[in-house]
Amino acid sequence: MRILIVDDSAMMRAMIKRVIKLADVSVDEVFEATNGAEALELLKQHDFQLLLTDINMPVMNGADMLREISLNERWRNLSRVIISTDGSTVRREEAEDLDVRCYLEKPFSPEVLRDVLNELADSEFAETE
Amino acid sequence: MSSTNSPTVSLPKLSDPATASAMFEAVRSVAEHSFFAVAEPGDERSFAAQASAVPSWLVATVRFEQGALQGTVACTMPTSLARGLFDAFAGRDPSEPEPGAELVHDLVGEFSNMVCGAWLTRVASSRTFTLHHPIVEPVSTPRDARGPRLLAVIDDVPVAVEVTLKAEPQTES
Repeated sequence: MRILIVDDSAMMRAMIKRVIKLADVSVDEVFEATNGAEALELLKQHDFQLLLTDINMPVMNGADMLREISLNERWRNLSRVIISTDGSTVRREEAEDLDVRCYLEKPFSPEVLRDVLNELADSEFAETE
Repeated sequence: MSSTNSPTVSLPKLSDPATASAMFEAVRSVAEHSFFAVAEPGDERSFAAQASAVPSWLVATVRFEQGALQGTVACTMPTSLARGLFDAFAGRDPSEPEPGAELVHDLVGEFSNMVCGAWLTRVASSRTFTLHHPIVEPVSTPRDARGPRLLAVIDDVPVAVEVTLKAEPQTES
């Protein structure tokens, strides 16, 4: 599995990478982007199976990036997870319209993200069996 | 979809006990879930004592917009606490090299970012918001409070959280 982490905080990206290592998922490569625009460029260059993204970021925020992704057939099978401080009901409803598999609200414990990753990996495996 | 960002809706001020309680819960939640730290309520006397005794502090200010409302949430903490929180967040082993100032600043910025988001979600969960990238400044002494602020103690170290609102709550005549 190739994973893309999108967050403007270097610390948060490092923390997510650490949790990925703890999860029971087979990972080929982990890429990082600091905003939605950078992420879209990486998505054009590589094939990813999982996108973990923040919402509030400079240059291009996560919601705008996810709208772009939802318009492109190439990224139809990309699993999308939001990891954001914004826990508002409006943002959660918006995420449903953008084919987001899981909405994880900051702060979260590493175990919660690890479980989400394991569940996603299990469901992907079940779908491809 | 309903008009959830109505400009007539306002955020309560930190002087309101329920709002202050929501802020403390936000701080406690961030400290416990992401930094494995214990947060307790603080007081002005112990904060003032530390303010003069601790030589190095960090202030992380997050600007937010919620509909027509704008404001900031600023968290002030000793640099020593920030380094401790860094170790907890990053899982740094004491034998590893000390993190540089840039990473510690990023950490305090993320702490404030999470506190701000958790607080806004608690006091106005029906409205979405925008958070801007945190601005982190090192200071030798915490600035005087410009208004009501929340004081907390994280792992026995004092922390201050100050909120400013640029759009005042509208009052009914």
